Amino acid sequence: MNVEITGLTRRFGSVAAVAGVDLRAGPGVFGLLGPNGAGKTSLLRMMATAMRPSSGSLRLLGRDPGGYGPRREIRRRLGYLPQSPGYYPGFTVAEYVEYFALLKEVPPGRIRAAVTTAIEAVELGDQKKARLRTLSGGMLRRAGIAQAIVNEPELLLLDEPTAGLDPQQRVAFRALLRNLGQRATVVVSTHLVEDVTAACAQVAVMDRGRIVFRGTPDGLAASGGGQHAGDTPIERGYSAVLAKARS
Amino acid sequence: MTGARRVWLYAVSRRVPFAVLAMAACAIGLRIALLRHWDDYGALQLPLIFEAAAAVSVVAAVPGPFGEPERVAGHWLPLLRLGVTVALTAAAVGLLAAAGIGGHLAGGTLAVLRNVAGITGLGLLCAAAAGGGLSWAAPAGYLVAAVYALYTQWHPPALTTPWLWPARPSHDLGGAVCAGLVFTCGIAVLTVRGARDRPGDPAES
Repeated sequence: MNVEITGLTRRFGSVAAVAGVDLRAGPGVFGLLGPNGAGKTSLLRMMATAMRPSSGSLRLLGRDPGGYGPRREIRRRLGYLPQSPGYYPGFTVAEYVEYFALLKEVPPGRIRAAVTTAIEAVELGDQKKARLRTLSGGMLRRAGIAQAIVNEPELLLLDEPTAGLDPQQRVAFRALLRNLGQRATVVVSTHLVEDVTAACAQVAVMDRGRIVFRGTPDGLAASGGGQHAGDTPIERGYSAVLAKARS
Repeated sequence: MTGARRVWLYAVSRRVPFAVLAMAACAIGLRIALLRHWDDYGALQLPLIFEAAAAVSVVAAVPGPFGEPERVAGHWLPLLRLGVTVALTAAAVGLLAAAGIGGHLAGGTLAVLRNVAGITGLGLLCAAAAGGGLSWAAPAGYLVAAVYALYTQWHPPALTTPWLWPARPSHDLGGAVCAGLVFTCGIAVLTVRGARDRPGDPAES
């Protein structure tokens, strides 16, 4: 298992953003659904080693990120794209991705190839030498994904990765996710249930800091019945799971 | 080659070349100021203003644009912060000291070193506590306090605490220790935790 979480809690003052989450995930694409404020981003930030848990146990890639040595090793093998990543507008796409390759200790002889592969994977090959300031929001999002995958991570954490992508790019991105999920654990936090249907083998629904559903997208769709809000079976299942959790 | 490229990309993303230009402008400004004849009062306060401006140039190059993806990308970032900030501080001291050669620089190179290092340390602590965008606030506030402390040298009662080191003679051990302590604390906190992206954000773990 690349992700082993037991009783994980993160408090901000008196508010528990993540309240006793248990989760295990191996290779494959894992979808994290939930309404705003459900705790998805806080959970992802703890998994990215960007934030320490208040309590509970977290093991990533077989290591405890609480120690400096294990955390360093996890970070070397991790890819992370937050909801609002920052960019230096003067960098070209290639420089941006190369900088992250250098930080993530990609072997010197492989950096050029790794940068090219990552940029082409997100279909930005034609914009390789374009300054980030000249790119659209969707292109910037793809550049962010390229930095996250440049080290061929074993654990890839993506927070709302398809926000700002047009329908064609989203279709291409889901294919990329499925491809990455063949060898890595990819955790995708999203509001878009169609992303989960198309790309994820496993899904969890979070609400108020807790996981209220864990299973397959088909299982989530089957939870819906006919009387809940939503245009598709999985949307109806999502609504039904949230309604049940709050009742 | 890889290491040099890493340092260069880090430095560019922090606008280090612009910081160096700003420091050079401070040095030129100081040189021009030293061409004129100042009374004791101005001769002490003017270099301090340029030293504080150079220190702000150093701390302005501390915050980065990339946020969490950069912080969780391996172990190089603390070393890059440390190396680049120390190098910039050294450059600021060197440029201002060079500007004072042949002129009457009150306190000499020793005072430049003490003042720039100490005020830079304050800026680094401010960046770590309040965010990179506010890193100038502590040096600016300290400049006001230090200028007032210099003012009291002629208008007693004089402020003589070593924590207001610009008002102490350049060879004063207490002032040097306080400035060195602030710089050491600032550089240590910056290296380990980095600057906050925004005042409300949790610091790096």
